[in-house]
Amino acid sequence: MTTDEGIVYDRSLLGVETHIGTFKLTREMLLGFAKSTGETNPRYVGDNNGDGDIAAPPTICNVFVSGVSRPDIKLEFGEISFFAGQSIECKAEIRPGDVLSASTKLDNVYAKTGRSGKMVFAVWETKFRNQDDATVALVTESFVRRNKNR
Amino acid sequence: MKKNLYFEDVEIGDDIGPIKRSVTDEDVIEFVSVREKKIIPSRFTSKEVANSEGLPEAIVPGPMNIALMAQVLTDWSDTVCLLKIDVVFRQTVPHNKDLIFSGIVTDKDETGGSTKLECDVVMENSDEVKLVIGTGVIALPNKP
Repeated sequence: MTTDEGIVYDRSLLGVETHIGTFKLTREMLLGFAKSTGETNPRYVGDNNGDGDIAAPPTICNVFVSGVSRPDIKLEFGEISFFAGQSIECKAEIRPGDVLSASTKLDNVYAKTGRSGKMVFAVWETKFRNQDDATVALVTESFVRRNKNR
Repeated sequence: MKKNLYFEDVEIGDDIGPIKRSVTDEDVIEFVSVREKKIIPSRFTSKEVANSEGLPEAIVPGPMNIALMAQVLTDWSDTVCLLKIDVVFRQTVPHNKDLIFSGIVTDKDETGGSTKLECDVVMENSDEVKLVIGTGVIALPNKP
């Protein structure tokens, strides 16, 4: 069972979008991302010389999410934090030259009680839109806070 | 040579992979360079920084792990279109160690309304310890 009853945090942040950056994706960036992960699919790396029409590997937006500073939700619970998980929805293809605008919002805060006690999850959703205002990716991240084991 | 897969070719329970690979220090630097022109030593690029944070060695960044997990699916066939991937980090992922990636098809849309498939994906170390687990939703084209 999950609930947000009794969790103290800044509820005024729920659903409020904050712009976190604008990113121009160059062909060099796309190929660098693909090379670093050992990508061989010609859709992402082009021909043997790296030439030809390419698209971005589907999780590339994630590079721009990590390390982003978000508003402090002033959560009054727990002593330790963990990165619990992440999902990426790929909504449209990203190509070299695209300019992506990213905005993030606090989507949900809820508590769960498990074997190790109560945990509070904060879920952030980051939306990437391209220069035509089309949503190209949605990145959802979940962070958990809990008390130390006694 | 990789076979082009079509929706009709795939059944629930079909295996994806396994793929064995490792992530080198250079791979991580290349990955981090996609965003940062100047590499600042961090737990991802420096053993010393990782040690100072209580980690035994430099680790692979989370976004890179997700990219590698996604690649297991997109590498299955050039016809795969990745729609969604959802991962949970169970343990840190070290550089320069064997990693085994595998997946399995867990659901197939049989309604005729789409060509979507759901898959489980896992990254394990050589001791079969699960480091990252996840699920993916992909689409395949219909057979011509």
